[in-house]
Amino acid sequence: MRVLLVEPDKIQAGSIVEALRRDGHKVEHAVSAQQAVHIADEQIPDVVVLELQMPRHNGVEFLYEFRSYPEWLRVPVIVYSYVPPRELIQSATLSTELGVVSMLYKPETSLAALCAAVRKVPSVAIS
Amino acid sequence: MVQEGSGVTLNGQEQLFLSLAEQLSRPLVQIAQLAELGTADDLETARLRWHMVQSVSHASLQLVESYALSLRVQGKVTPLSLEPITVSSLLYDTAQVLQPLARHYGVTLELDPGPRAQPILADRTVLQSAMTSLGQVFVMSQAEADEQAPVRLCAHRNRYGVVAGMYGNAPQLGADSLRRAQALKGRAREPLQRLVSGPAAGVFVADSLLRTLATHLHVARYRSLTGLATTLQPSHQLQLV
Repeated sequence: MRVLLVEPDKIQAGSIVEALRRDGHKVEHAVSAQQAVHIADEQIPDVVVLELQMPRHNGVEFLYEFRSYPEWLRVPVIVYSYVPPRELIQSATLSTELGVVSMLYKPETSLAALCAAVRKVPSVAIS
Repeated sequence: MVQEGSGVTLNGQEQLFLSLAEQLSRPLVQIAQLAELGTADDLETARLRWHMVQSVSHASLQLVESYALSLRVQGKVTPLSLEPITVSSLLYDTAQVLQPLARHYGVTLELDPGPRAQPILADRTVLQSAMTSLGQVFVMSQAEADEQAPVRLCAHRNRYGVVAGMYGNAPQLGADSLRRAQALKGRAREPLQRLVSGPAAGVFVADSLLRTLATHLHVARYRSLTGLATTLQPSHQLQLV
């Protein structure tokens, strides 16, 4: 599976990329929303793993922009963030309008659990 | 008192603790992830990860210790110990402390102590802690910037004194980070739509420490870079000595 990881923290990104690659995925890493759009433009990812807290643009803005392109409409997004789940759940638009298939709270989610969530991404979205 | 989303009220102190907790959860997640990966590594990779864990945990402890120091000095539990300090040596020592963290984040540190300046009279531990807290913020923020630039530790003279600070080109540094830090006391939590990463707690701690020395952080520019700095008063008595 082609995974686009949007993660501003380089130390964490290194660990996440390593874990996903060990799990058999091809991973591209973007440190910013702008870079993520550029990478997705080159090759559409099968799934996006996204940190909502980013410098300059935030992840929600990125999602709105990402969904504004018809070819990226069906790409599933996994939010893997420091934003507490309760705050995310209150924002119903994340799952309904913005196609977030899973919301994972970083402090409580191991890399193994993230890999499991990526493996569970609905195959219909990938096809 | 500030109002949070569902009616929960946070006072200034609680807001600051929340910010510190959020900032400290980042290195702890980094450490947990590195440890999780470390179980299936060759010796060389494991050694590299061990060094990362060491510098990340050291930086986190430094933040906690700096915050505790600012409270101890404010509460007069720890008295200030004033001594003559040259700003260039202070910046050099700060760069030494920051170097391991900068290396792991892939950020270059550049030292520009400026022309020889008069010594200042300050508490070296307090001033060094403030500059280190600030430096960590700059290293971590600079690593997230689209365009890589070094973090510069600079000092220069102006008519108000010796200006010592950190500079970079990360968008979240400068005026915005200082405003966020100063607003930690009495600021409502950012709504979801405005979530932008920001190291407010680290800047706040640096500013708190500097205030115990009767100075503070301010926004500064150095060539094309933005930054945060403090203006220190040279000691005319020391100059005579």
